[in-house]
Amino acid sequence: MRPLTPRRILWTCAGLCGLLFVVVVISLRMGAYPISVRDIVDTLYKAAVGRREEVPVEFWQVVFGLRLPRIALGILVGASLSTAGAGFQALLRNPLADPYVLGVSSGAALGAIISLIAAPHVVGAIQIAAFIGAASTIAGVYFLGRRGGQLDSPTLLLAGIVAASFLSAIIMFLLTMVTGSELRSIAFWLMGDLTAPPPTTNVLGWLGFLFFVFIVAAGAMYTTSSDLNLILTGEQEARHLGVNVNRVKFVVYIAASVLTGLAVSVSGAIGYVGLLIPHVMRMFFGTDYRMLIPTAAIGGAIAIVLADTLARTVVAPTELPVGAMTALAGAPVFIYLMRRRMR
Amino acid sequence: MGASRKSGNLPELVEADTLRERECGDKPRSVREAFLLEKTFTRARGKIVCIIVALACCHAVRAAGSAVQAASDKRAVKIVTDETGRRVAIPLSVQHIVTLAPNLTETIYALGLEDKLAGDTSYCDTPAAAKLKPHVGSPQTPSLEAIVALHPDLVLATTSINRPETVDALARLGIAVYTSDPHTVRGMLDSIARMADLVGAGEQGAALVAQLQARLDAVHARIAELPLVHVLFVVWEDPLITIGQNTFIADALRWAGAESAIVAEQNWPQLSIEEVVRVQPEYIVLTPNHAESDAASKSSELESLRARPAWKALKAVELGHIVVASDEFDRPSPGLIGAIEQLARELHPEAFALNASGGNFVGGAGLQMKMAASAWMKKECVSCAL
Repeated sequence: MRPLTPRRILWTCAGLCGLLFVVVVISLRMGAYPISVRDIVDTLYKAAVGRREEVPVEFWQVVFGLRLPRIALGILVGASLSTAGAGFQALLRNPLADPYVLGVSSGAALGAIISLIAAPHVVGAIQIAAFIGAASTIAGVYFLGRRGGQLDSPTLLLAGIVAASFLSAIIMFLLTMVTGSELRSIAFWLMGDLTAPPPTTNVLGWLGFLFFVFIVAAGAMYTTSSDLNLILTGEQEARHLGVNVNRVKFVVYIAASVLTGLAVSVSGAIGYVGLLIPHVMRMFFGTDYRMLIPTAAIGGAIAIVLADTLARTVVAPTELPVGAMTALAGAPVFIYLMRRRMR
Repeated sequence: MGASRKSGNLPELVEADTLRERECGDKPRSVREAFLLEKTFTRARGKIVCIIVALACCHAVRAAGSAVQAASDKRAVKIVTDETGRRVAIPLSVQHIVTLAPNLTETIYALGLEDKLAGDTSYCDTPAAAKLKPHVGSPQTPSLEAIVALHPDLVLATTSINRPETVDALARLGIAVYTSDPHTVRGMLDSIARMADLVGAGEQGAALVAQLQARLDAVHARIAELPLVHVLFVVWEDPLITIGQNTFIADALRWAGAESAIVAEQNWPQLSIEEVVRVQPEYIVLTPNHAESDAASKSSELESLRARPAWKALKAVELGHIVVASDEFDRPSPGLIGAIEQLARELHPEAFALNASGGNFVGGAGLQMKMAASAWMKKECVSCAL
């Protein structure tokens, strides 16, 4: 293994960003509405120089109204889930951990369902209620998962799993109360779906706010990455080496939970990405968290944008929920990569 | 690469620490922090690019929104409130319609407006010509891009099958969406009249509604004196799901002289078979298996019910009191009236035995009735077009 240098991290991330760019271009090009690369470039160029009146209205609608916001949301959700997954895997010292293992998604789903029953058709209610549900679950599991005043990984894991199954049971009960269009909305939400329009008409502000939260949470997790590497060898050893284990765990727990809550609130529970992408990145780039966190973030973004592009195109004009696509494509790809690395 | 060749993760994670120590552990803390900072910047750079892209998108989205606004301002519009309470600006002259549900497609055909129908969903199979229209996907997950590509002046949606998210997203693109929300048969007729008005076919709409209402009244006149038949309407057999009191189907049943034997507040309650045995419905109404004709499916349904231990004890099954309703029954569309007529005939044959030659009732079993109804629909379309 070559030594991990800042230069190497930089180049790896730059390469992945290049890959993300290619995927974004492909995603912009593909879709039920036929539009050539030239037209896309032309539309983007005219948008940049402020000559928008020269572009056909439909190109605007397709490129700026439909595809770009969806790609931006996909990047955000993929990066958040994957970063959160990497965080939980370290925090719980369990390779099976994913962003949903501690019940954050169940809490968010419960919030969303309650909002659909109590206030159907209120714009934005579902996102806000989902985030409140996620935040309450985060707090509840935090207090249940402490032992002797500090976060204890096995206790936390058990508390989270029990909370998740309890919340799921409540969801099952409530689902029998919901009918018609609410049931359809919630089914899509549970599968994970990027098509829900944002709760405000100010798409710029909305995406800006989401990215700001992402950067704060992911940045906070990144500051602990060196310490996380130490904690992974054993908490006792890390303590002896001067790591404030409790503080690190608290930061990682809050950051990973906020990232999960953020992603789940806007897109529902998209599965697999948060579990698989950190492992894929470990296979390619090693297990050092200073490398893993940024590569997982970009890799998650690539995975979701790619999956969403497939979801939009494989059975066009009908669209699949992106969560169905990540689960369908994620498992075989992961098995393939894992077997290939073992050879 | 020795560490990462291992398949499990924990061994790898353990190795990470030694790597870390090898690389950074021996460096002074300031160097390590510089390293962190530098990487933070690297990461930040990716994010900055993302933000710039996002900002550009959003700026453009806003611009696109205003462009759409400008485009629609140039044309005369009328502001209407749709059946879900949303305010919609609809062009005075509607030339391109996209329907997002089978019943809406059927309504457009019944109004004789098929030339204005630019696209429908892959579920739209009635009349057969609707299958040849460009499809925009399924009612629940249509492709918004495909809808944009058809340049619709008006998109018709319904709360009974479309998602509110789809309506919101289309409205944000500046596309006029009218959502219908009928809960009763009369509500459906009102909704047809309103939609006909919107697309500039008010007269055809009024004529169609009057005709459908006349048919309903004719059925009602024959069965008004008779007691309601208690039926079990089977929405789904396994698990057994029936209808609640407030559904559209419950209202249609009442028009056909029947009443759901199950009283439920929920719209689609799941039942235990014990409850069915307890209430002993007089008739069991099933929705058909599309592959078979009505007559064939009735006998095969009866056979399959008689093969089940709990069901064969039901009096209705013993007596063969099973009706396969037309699949129009669960669609709030003009074809529903024909389905109501058919069901009324099956449940109250005595009321239709007299004067069978008069009026619209050609006589015969459900299959013939359905054929007659559809032939009639065609005639209506022609007369509306004229």
